[in-house]
Amino acid sequence: MTPTVAVRLPASLRVSTFAQRATCFVVLAEKTARTRLTYRLSTVLALLASGLAYSVILLVWLRVYHENPKPGPLPLAKLLAYLVTAFVTSEVLTLSVDWRVLQRVRMGLIATDVIRPLGFVTFQMAQAVGDLLVNALFALPIFAVGLHFVGGGLLPPDLASAALGLVSGALAFFVSFGLTFLIVQAIFILHSGYGVVTAKMALHQVFSGLSAPLVLFPESLRNVAVWLPFRHVIETPVTVWLGHADRASVPRLLAAQAAWGAALIAGGALIFNAVLKKHQVQGG
Amino acid sequence: MNALRFYLTLYVVALKARAEYRVDFAVGVVTALSSQAAALAFFWMVFSHAPAIGSWSPSEVLFLFGMTAMTLGLSEATLNGIWMLPFYLIAGELDRLFVYPVRSLPFVLISRPELHSLGNFASGAISVGVAWHLAPPPVAAYFLLPLWIVAGALIYTSAVVIVASLSFIVLGPFAWHMLAVHNLLSSSRYPTSIYPRWLQVLTLFVLPFGAAIFVPGSFLRGDFSLWVAFVAPLGAAGAAVTLAFYVWETLSNRYQSTGN
Repeated sequence: MTPTVAVRLPASLRVSTFAQRATCFVVLAEKTARTRLTYRLSTVLALLASGLAYSVILLVWLRVYHENPKPGPLPLAKLLAYLVTAFVTSEVLTLSVDWRVLQRVRMGLIATDVIRPLGFVTFQMAQAVGDLLVNALFALPIFAVGLHFVGGGLLPPDLASAALGLVSGALAFFVSFGLTFLIVQAIFILHSGYGVVTAKMALHQVFSGLSAPLVLFPESLRNVAVWLPFRHVIETPVTVWLGHADRASVPRLLAAQAAWGAALIAGGALIFNAVLKKHQVQGG
Repeated sequence: MNALRFYLTLYVVALKARAEYRVDFAVGVVTALSSQAAALAFFWMVFSHAPAIGSWSPSEVLFLFGMTAMTLGLSEATLNGIWMLPFYLIAGELDRLFVYPVRSLPFVLISRPELHSLGNFASGAISVGVAWHLAPPPVAAYFLLPLWIVAGALIYTSAVVIVASLSFIVLGPFAWHMLAVHNLLSSSRYPTSIYPRWLQVLTLFVLPFGAAIFVPGSFLRGDFSLWVAFVAPLGAAGAAVTLAFYVWETLSNRYQSTGN
């Protein structure tokens, strides 16, 4: 096992201008998307697996509303629209950064990633954009099926909600990437990541609003969820898109998303610089 | 008898190999607990809006939660190796196994126990304990509980084996088709009777987790007799294991070596 050392690239190999970096970013995202599309069957089966798990949540809520037509502050039509949109959003924003890094750390291939001219954070983010593009492609049919069953409730009530929803969705990508990038740091330390990745998924499942909007949470659980970043991956973009969020509160929600995204990515980058100094590359 | 001793020795060696990664073990247990806690958080949300689901009280549903977790935990602790099948196939690692003088399926199954299963099993045991504290069961339930858990683990593992055997036909470095079965098991946390008919048929007869989880739960509510609570899990486990062996033997004949 060899400790990783910082490598200073010759000037001819550096990617220094914004245009060069942007080009590298786009090319890398495209290549990642193409790689993912090679494994179409895998992606379809993954969708089927998560769809099955999510259908349990949906069916249980349907039963609750069937037995108790007024169980809370949200009517059934609104809840259904929320849950379907939440599932689609979750599928689009499920990034494979942590699994990819986990595999490369275990095989020692990460040694080449940390010296990429683009920088490790940007390199990972470009691949995450590739994930996002493929996920969106596969999520579109699910959205269409949802639209068929749930109807127009899945669409934003006006153009402003649509535009704000898309902005919120974009910011949710940064929050999701930031959270995933933090997990990557744990993988560097542990040389393994199954546990932390699964723990993050569990936290995401509870606090993101994937199972229900925060208004349906028991009060004590909601009080915890509002202080965590997970809700800004699912609940915030979905409620903004559907127009369920009070319009006056939208700027504050978007600002919170931006702040969380920036803080998580910056925090992850700082931790990365520290853990890289101690990381020992596997294999040989 | 020799075969049994062989499999036991193999299991102990595999267990020791897994136990070597202590941090992995600790993180794995915490992870398993957090996954169960996530499921319980949803349980909490649901029951904060409804006093019962399909006439099942919170303690009755909590029993289903516990049984599902213990079923999963026992399967992961003993018969988890099937999850590695797609990766064994891609790497060509089954070549040697198929010439060993042992049955390949049990070998694959017990060669990779997961120690994080302890977290799932413990959380399941606690859930059942709390459920039975809230609604004490008949005495027979204490004797039948081990049978239900073992039957559940066999049924679940058999279902995963049947689906995993598709990897012999459709080669790829992924286990998502198996995860679909795993995710389907999560439906057992709630009464099967609340689901649409197709899902009831699927989880009671096709991949019959329900026979070892929902049927015992129904027995505790007085919906089924003791006889049904005894025979249904046993019968479903026997049928599932037989089918799993048949599918494995049939599809593994189509194994083509890969890798180098």
